[in-house]
Amino acid sequence: MLIITRRPGERIMLGDDITIHVMEIVGNSARVGIEAPKSLPVYREEIWAAVKEENQASARVEADRIANPATDAGARV
Amino acid sequence: MPLSIDTTRFGELEIETEAVIEFPTGLIGLGGSRYALLANDETSAIVWLQSLDDPALALPVTNPGRFFNDYFVELSDAEAARIGLTDPDLADVYVTVRATEMPEDCTANLRAPILISRGTGHQVINEADNAPMRAPLFPATREKATAA
Repeated sequence: MLIITRRPGERIMLGDDITIHVMEIVGNSARVGIEAPKSLPVYREEIWAAVKEENQASARVEADRIANPATDAGARV
Repeated sequence: MPLSIDTTRFGELEIETEAVIEFPTGLIGLGGSRYALLANDETSAIVWLQSLDDPALALPVTNPGRFFNDYFVELSDAEAARIGLTDPDLADVYVTVRATEMPEDCTANLRAPILISRGTGHQVINEADNAPMRAPLFPATREKATAA
């Protein structure tokens, strides 16, 4: 991992199109601004990781498990 | 020309070109750029989002409106701009389902819905309150089970 020390107000470029602004440091929090092409999704890591885990768990299911859970449980179909 | 794919779960499938859904950034953490929705019949509550790039990759998804009456999707400005959709209501909304042995343990991910509009799909982060990653699909079943 590349480690760079930055002060508030300074920036980091990822290639030509992505800018990371270190905006301010308050206590143990850093406010970071991200400028990236709008087609690029930006996620907080913990949200990204949790959604990834849910997607993977969902995709692990075999076809027969879910044949028709709605009907089995008497839900509205 | 229909696209032919030998899927792990459903065997050989022919997918019509109009049914192919392009995901410019894939599904979060799973990637994939082309998927299609598969249903047993038109009334299926749960349908499958089958990857057309990876025969083994498919996720059960559902229309959240069937299970959660007051569900809605709220996008951040950045997310709306990214997918080029100002009003999530204009898209078809699906949520991934985590299926388990017991129906009462089945959950849906209301936090990261999949919006499909005009052949393009995006999995987005729902900023709305009360949009958990594991919302029980059949809360009534759970209550009944507890009562009994």
